[in-house]
Amino acid sequence: MRLPPGVNSKDFSDAIKQFQEAVGNDWVFTTDEDLDLYRDSYSPFWHEDQDPVPSAAVAPHSVEQVQQVVRVANTYKIPIWTISTGKNLGYGGSAPLLSGSVVLDLKKMDRVLEVNEKNHYALVEPGVSYFDLYRYIQDRGLKVWIDVPDPGWGSLIGNSLDRGGGYTPMRDHFDSHCGMEVVLANGEILRTGMGALPGAQTWQQYRYGFGPYIDGIFSQSNFGVVTKMGFWLYPVPEGFRSGTVLVPRHDDLVPLIETLNYLMNSNIVQGTSTIGSPLLMSRTAAQSAGGSGGSALLMVPGGPSIEELENIGKANNLAYWSCNFSFYGPPKVIEAQWEYAKEKYSAIPGVKFEDGTEFKLPLSADQMEAAPKRQFGIPNLTIFGMMGRSEGHMWFSPIIPMTGEAVFEAQKVFGQAYKDMGVPSVQQIFVFPSSFFPRSFVILCGFPIAHDVEKNRRNREIFKGLVKVAAEHGWGEYRTHTAFMDTVANVYSFNNHALRRFHETVKDAVDPNGILSPGRCGVWPKHLRETRGLQS
Amino acid sequence: MASRREFLHMGIAALTLPISARVALGAAPENSAVKPVADAAIPSVPLYKVVYDTRYADSVAFGEEMKRLGVNVHAIRGDITDFWYHDLYAQWKQSPAAIAGLTGPGALFCLERLAWDHRMRVVFRADHRYGRYQNDLADGGEAGRIEHMITGPEEVVRKSSEFVSDEAGWPVLTASLLARFPQARARLQEITSETKRSCSERDPEHLVSWVIAPKVSTATA
Repeated sequence: MRLPPGVNSKDFSDAIKQFQEAVGNDWVFTTDEDLDLYRDSYSPFWHEDQDPVPSAAVAPHSVEQVQQVVRVANTYKIPIWTISTGKNLGYGGSAPLLSGSVVLDLKKMDRVLEVNEKNHYALVEPGVSYFDLYRYIQDRGLKVWIDVPDPGWGSLIGNSLDRGGGYTPMRDHFDSHCGMEVVLANGEILRTGMGALPGAQTWQQYRYGFGPYIDGIFSQSNFGVVTKMGFWLYPVPEGFRSGTVLVPRHDDLVPLIETLNYLMNSNIVQGTSTIGSPLLMSRTAAQSAGGSGGSALLMVPGGPSIEELENIGKANNLAYWSCNFSFYGPPKVIEAQWEYAKEKYSAIPGVKFEDGTEFKLPLSADQMEAAPKRQFGIPNLTIFGMMGRSEGHMWFSPIIPMTGEAVFEAQKVFGQAYKDMGVPSVQQIFVFPSSFFPRSFVILCGFPIAHDVEKNRRNREIFKGLVKVAAEHGWGEYRTHTAFMDTVANVYSFNNHALRRFHETVKDAVDPNGILSPGRCGVWPKHLRETRGLQS
Repeated sequence: MASRREFLHMGIAALTLPISARVALGAAPENSAVKPVADAAIPSVPLYKVVYDTRYADSVAFGEEMKRLGVNVHAIRGDITDFWYHDLYAQWKQSPAAIAGLTGPGALFCLERLAWDHRMRVVFRADHRYGRYQNDLADGGEAGRIEHMITGPEEVVRKSSEFVSDEAGWPVLTASLLARFPQARARLQEITSETKRSCSERDPEHLVSWVIAPKVSTATA
């Protein structure tokens, strides 16, 4: 039997018995066969002793069972690592950060408690996946949309607490939540916002309640176990249309993004927009510039100059930059929005526009098949169908300003960092930024995982190097794999780590035994703070 | 600590069903068309559905053979969303039911993880790596062959490794083997084998044949 760090075998056996009494024998897992399923499918520590493994897993069905489990853990000072469905691959999956923790697996708490189509909200438990809520809504013909990440098999609560993003006007998943129920380390339940008012009628309608607004401290944290959460939904729009703006020159990126900002911050464009480059991604153009077959121009070693690239673009009728847009609402309104966007962009010489798809809703079954799933809040697993020989990935995901200048700088800085760190050219892919969150760009760069110890060690070092380089330029990760939580937290160091010290003060107050998800996002309990859990 | 490879072995070893578990888990789901083409003496895992990928000729041949054997099949084009959302979800919500397939690794990756949530496990897996280019193969070996790494119950693995040497017929033979996948617990084995066959751009880089079946409910210590 594996033991949690600092817990003797008698105490652990007693705790396991009490976990079983709380949730039933079938829902306490202690065999290697079961526990290995909680290891990270995309672990950057494959074949290494650092690959974290839990000592047990417990899957409660109700908030009362969660309370009992937490109380037992608190009594025996057993670290528990909470997961909702454990599907956040690339960020650690279901594996604990501290090896030997007991995984508190909330997937059996899978009830959709309410969907209100008049006020457009839902109240769900942590085990409810995007598929589950979507099915609930479709089965009842409710006129609301959800927003889904890609892929859509994870938990709404898990993704929101990890501050994930999607594609529709409700794409900032934490920002779309309204009201939480939380089990604290002592087993007590609290409700946030209006939920603190017994018999509240607006728990999912007014976020703030009265007094300090504390919901944020339960996201990317380890201060409590969230057992219910409300989400604002989007009323099914009457129409959808997409469009793309294409500009011919390198420097056109600056006005392209400046106007995007204006349109987005004025709520004229409501969905995620992604910057792309038809020119840099063109394989044909790459070959004409001396690149090898199959690689895009972006990857041609040494590469042509900007002027040469612009000429290649002109010769091949390829835009240097593109930006796609999604509009949601009554057809008349979204047509006017797209027309207005075109008018704003017409100031850029040589700009072109591509009208995308237009849908009037509700959709027929055939249209549903053809609809862009992510933009319509339809959960899917399509991305896995494109998997080749991948053994997994982890995400390097810095937030940068939403300006053309920042994109150029990021391209230059990360390009140089790759060269300095000796990253193979095939991995030196500049990822185009997306607006998963309002008013900033995120660059989502997938780092490969290999079943090769040396490659993973090297990639971990490169990853840490990129975090450092990004921070030197004022860019920080919005989220990271458990393996890098301390690395990322360390760069948020303003005023001698004032934020981290505040987090630690809160941690010591609300979880004095340090049992809840030790180390999550760099927040360690007092007894593990100095070693950051490394002694185990 | 067990390595991942040892973990795979341990996992599969503990998963194949003892005959006694058959009663507890029930026989074929009521809506299954499968009455396995099994030797009556060797109880086989009743397959609820078999998944194949219409993009690849070998996978199609596998699916066609399963269909011929009376197994319900589901065609995909890489993406299992439709199969999951419109079919498997309801079946597994009702009761665990075995499935099999010859698909890309991404499809298996998804189905395996979804199966875990329903107390099911991969009980057989064969990775088929197509050597379209010299460096496609794990050991950097010669192109013009398909490399098969097969893990599962000893008898199935042994037969499978024989079948895959058949240049044209290995997908069909694999289908016939997996359609009567044995329920009885067996020793595990891993074998690497190969098919000598020139591979083309139309071939995938990598396919996987697999069986997912209910695990035995284990009492905790």
